[in-house]
Amino acid sequence: MAAEPRPLVEMRGIVKVYPDGVKALDGVDFDVYRGEVHALLGENGAGKTTLMRILYGEIRATSGVILVDGRRVSWRGPWDAIRSGIAMVYQNFRLVEGLTVEENLLVYLSSLGLPRAEARRRVERVVEDLGLSVDMDAPVEKLPPGARQRVEIVKALSGGARLLILDEPTSNLTPLEARGLFKLIGKLREKGVAVVYITHKLREVVEVADRVTVLRRGKVVARVSRGSEGFNEERLAALMVGEVPRPSSPASRPLGGEVLAVKDLYVAGDDGSVRVKGVTFTVRGGEVLGIAGVAGNGQEELVEAIIGLRAPLRGYVEVLGRRVRSPRDFYEAGGAFIPGDRAKALSPELSVAENAAFIYYTASRALLLRPSRLASLFDKLVRSFGLKAGGPSTPVSSLSGGNQQKVLVGAEFMRGFKLLVAVNPTQGLDVATAAFVRRLIVEAASRGSAVLLISSDLDEVLELSHRVAVMSSGRIAGVLARGEATPERLGVLMGGS
Amino acid sequence: MPEILSDLTTVAVLASATMVPITLASVGEIVSERAGVVNIGLEGIMLLSAWASVVAFLIGGAGYLEAYMVGGLLGLLLGLLHGAISVYLKGDQIVTGIGLNIFAAGFTVLGTYALWGTFSNSPSFQPMPGIAVVAGVKVSPLVPLSIAAGVAAWLFLYRTVTGLRLRACGEDPRSAEAMGVNVGLYQLAAAGFAGLMAGIAGAYLSVDYQGVFAKNMTAGRGFIALANVAFSGWNPLVAVAGGYLFGLFQAAAISLNIALQEEAAASLINATPYLATLVVVVLVARRGFRAPRWLGRPFVKE
Ligand SMILES: Nc1ncnc2c1ncn2[C@@H]1O[C@H](COP(=O)(O)OP(=O)(O)O)[C@@H](O)[C@H]1O
Ligand SMILES: [Mg+2]
Repeated sequence: MAAEPRPLVEMRGIVKVYPDGVKALDGVDFDVYRGEVHALLGENGAGKTTLMRILYGEIRATSGVILVDGRRVSWRGPWDAIRSGIAMVYQNFRLVEGLTVEENLLVYLSSLGLPRAEARRRVERVVEDLGLSVDMDAPVEKLPPGARQRVEIVKALSGGARLLILDEPTSNLTPLEARGLFKLIGKLREKGVAVVYITHKLREVVEVADRVTVLRRGKVVARVSRGSEGFNEERLAALMVGEVPRPSSPASRPLGGEVLAVKDLYVAGDDGSVRVKGVTFTVRGGEVLGIAGVAGNGQEELVEAIIGLRAPLRGYVEVLGRRVRSPRDFYEAGGAFIPGDRAKALSPELSVAENAAFIYYTASRALLLRPSRLASLFDKLVRSFGLKAGGPSTPVSSLSGGNQQKVLVGAEFMRGFKLLVAVNPTQGLDVATAAFVRRLIVEAASRGSAVLLISSDLDEVLELSHRVAVMSSGRIAGVLARGEATPERLGVLMGGS
Repeated sequence: MPEILSDLTTVAVLASATMVPITLASVGEIVSERAGVVNIGLEGIMLLSAWASVVAFLIGGAGYLEAYMVGGLLGLLLGLLHGAISVYLKGDQIVTGIGLNIFAAGFTVLGTYALWGTFSNSPSFQPMPGIAVVAGVKVSPLVPLSIAAGVAAWLFLYRTVTGLRLRACGEDPRSAEAMGVNVGLYQLAAAGFAGLMAGIAGAYLSVDYQGVFAKNMTAGRGFIALANVAFSGWNPLVAVAGGYLFGLFQAAAISLNIALQEEAAASLINATPYLATLVVVVLVARRGFRAPRWLGRPFVKE
C-alpha cells in the first residue's frame, strides 16, 4: 500500500456519551487511506460499532470532528455519508425484510439520486465484476445470512462506495462464506476501495488487515501496521485486553469446601451442534473462578447448563452435592444468577419494586405479595445498593443502565446465596457502578460464597479471580492461577488452536 | 318498472355521495400507515375541519372552494402536528390520536355555541352545487376525485421509487435509514397527507354534502375509515371499493328509512352500513397484503 499524503477519512477527538450516561468513546482518533484494509479491533463493548455509526452519520458524536478528503463534514443522517462514498454493512444487516433484493437495492441507490435504469445497470456490473450470484427477486427474509451480506456488499459497491465499513462481518457466516468474504475484500483492495474491518477476532486481523487500530474501553490503545513488530496474535491480544492489575485484590484466605462441581459436561446449542465439549471444573467456597474467552466459544451454553436451563447431553452439574436439573434445583440449592443481558432479565414496563420482588422471591414458595414487603425491598435497594430511582413504582425502563443493574444485582444479593454465577456483570456500566458491583462480588467471596465469573472483560476477570479458566471452542483450553495469568498467556489460550 | 329504475338511480347517486369521506380518509391513512405512522385521530380531524370550513363559509364569507381549502389546511396542520409528536418527540401515536378525537368533540360543540348560540348545529345553507355527472344526476366533483385519489395513491406506493422508500420506513425504519432514507421526513410528510385528506373529507361532509355543521356530524366515519384501511390490506384500490360499499349500504339505509317512515327502525337501519361494510370487507380482504411491520411504533436510535 503506497503511502498517501492525505487520508480518505479522518476522525479526530471523537467522544460519545449515550443518553443513558454511558461514555462509549473517549477522545478517539482514527483514519483510513485509500486501498487499505484497516481493522478496528477491540473486545465487546469497546466502542467499535459506536465509532462507525458516527462515521456513517447514524448517530452524532458528543464532540469531535470528521474529515473526508481533508474537508470537515457534518452529517445530518446516513444519506449524507452515503453521498460522499461511505457505506456500512451492519453486523446484523440493515435490509428491509419485507421487500425483495431488487427493491432494497433501489431504495439505497435512489438515495444517491440514481434513476431506476442506471441503478439496475450498476448492480449488474458489480455483480458481474465480483462474480457473485444474487437472486434479485427473492424477498430478503428468505435469504440466509451469507446471501444477505452479498446483497449488502453489492449495494455498497454499486453505489460507488470508496469506503466500506464491515461490522463483525464473519459473525453470521459459515466458515466457507467467510473464506469467500476474505477473497472479496482482497479484490476490493485491488480496486482501491478502503475497508474498515471491525472485529474482536485476532486471527482475522492478522489474515486481512494492512493496519489495525486497537480500541479498549472507548480509547485507542495502539495502532499497528502489518510488517511491524507487534503485528501478531499474541501481542494484539495483550493490547486488546489490557495490562495485568497488581495481583492482590481478592483475599487469599483458606478456601471452603466444594460448592459447584461441573463434570465432563457436553451441551448442545440451539442449532443442535455441540457447543460445550467435555468441561470439568470445581469452585470452592470463598473462591472466584473466572472464565475468560472470546464470546461465542460455548460460554453461553455452559452457563445455561449450570443454572439448569439447558439439559446437558452428557455429564452433570452439582451445587453443594445436589444435581441441578432445572433452575428450581439451582436456586433451591443456594444458587444466584446475574445474567449478561439485563434487558432480558428485567421486565421494563413493571416497576422497580416488582422487578426486585420477582428476583427476590425466585426460590420462595410464598403465595401473596405484600405491599409493605415491596416498599421495604425498594428501601433496601436505595440504602444498601445506592439505587437512584423515583420511587418503588417507577418503571424499570426509565432507569439508566447502571441503576437497572443495581436492581438486578441488589435483589439477588439481598436473597443471599452460596454460589453466584455472574455473566458480564459490569457490561455497559459507568465506572463507579462497575467498581461497586466488583466490590460486591469480592465481598461475597470473602463471606465464603463460591463465585463463577464469566466475563468478556479480561481486566475484570484478572482483577477478581483466584483462578482463570480460558474457554475456546467449547473446551477449557487451560486454567491459570492468579499470578500466572498474564494477558499474553491468556491471549494465546484464547486464540485457540 | 321506471319507479325501480329511478330508485336505483337514487341509491347510486346517494352511494357516490356518501362514499367520499370514508374513501378520502382511508386513502390518506393508508399512505401514512405505509410509512409507519397510525393516526386514530382521523375522526377528530374530520370533525374539526367540517366545523372550520363552515365557519369560513358562513362567517368568513369564503366561497365553497375557499371553505374546502380551510378544511384541508387545518387537516394538514393537525396531521403534521400528530406526525411531529410521533416522529420527533417519540410520543405514543395512539394517545395523540385519542387526544385529537376528544378535543375535536368538545371544541366543535363549544365553538358552535359561541358562534351561533346553540350546541347542536350551525344555520344551514345551500350545499356546494354538483358538477360531475353520475347516472344523469349532478354530483360533487369530489366523487370522481376521491376515486382518482385512490388510484393515484396506489400508483405512488407501488409504482414509484419515492413510494417504495416510504414503504421501507413503515417496514423497518432502522434499515431504511441505513439505506439513506430520511425516515423522519417521510413519516412527517405522510402523516401530514393523512391529515390533509381527512380535512378535505370533513369539509366535504359539511360544505358539500349537507350544507350545515351539526354536532358529531362525522358519526364515526373516521373510525370506519381506520377499519377500512386494515381490512383493505393497506391497498388504496381495495379501500376505494370498501368506501363505495359503505356508501351503498348507507344509501340503502337512507332510502329504506324514507320508505318506511318508521322512527323506531331508523337507528337500527342506520347502524347497518357500519356493520355490513366491516363484514363484507373482511370477507373479501386480499390475503396477500399485510400490515407494515413497524406500524405505530416510535423509531428510537440511541
Ligand atoms: N444505544 C445505546 N445506548 C446506550 N449505550 C450503548 C448503546 N449502544 C452501545 N452502548 C454502550 O456503548 C459501549 C460501546 O458499545 P459498542 O460500540 O456497541 O461496542 P463494540 O461494537 O465495540 O462491541 C458499550 O458499553 C455499550 O453498552
Ligand atoms: Mg459492535
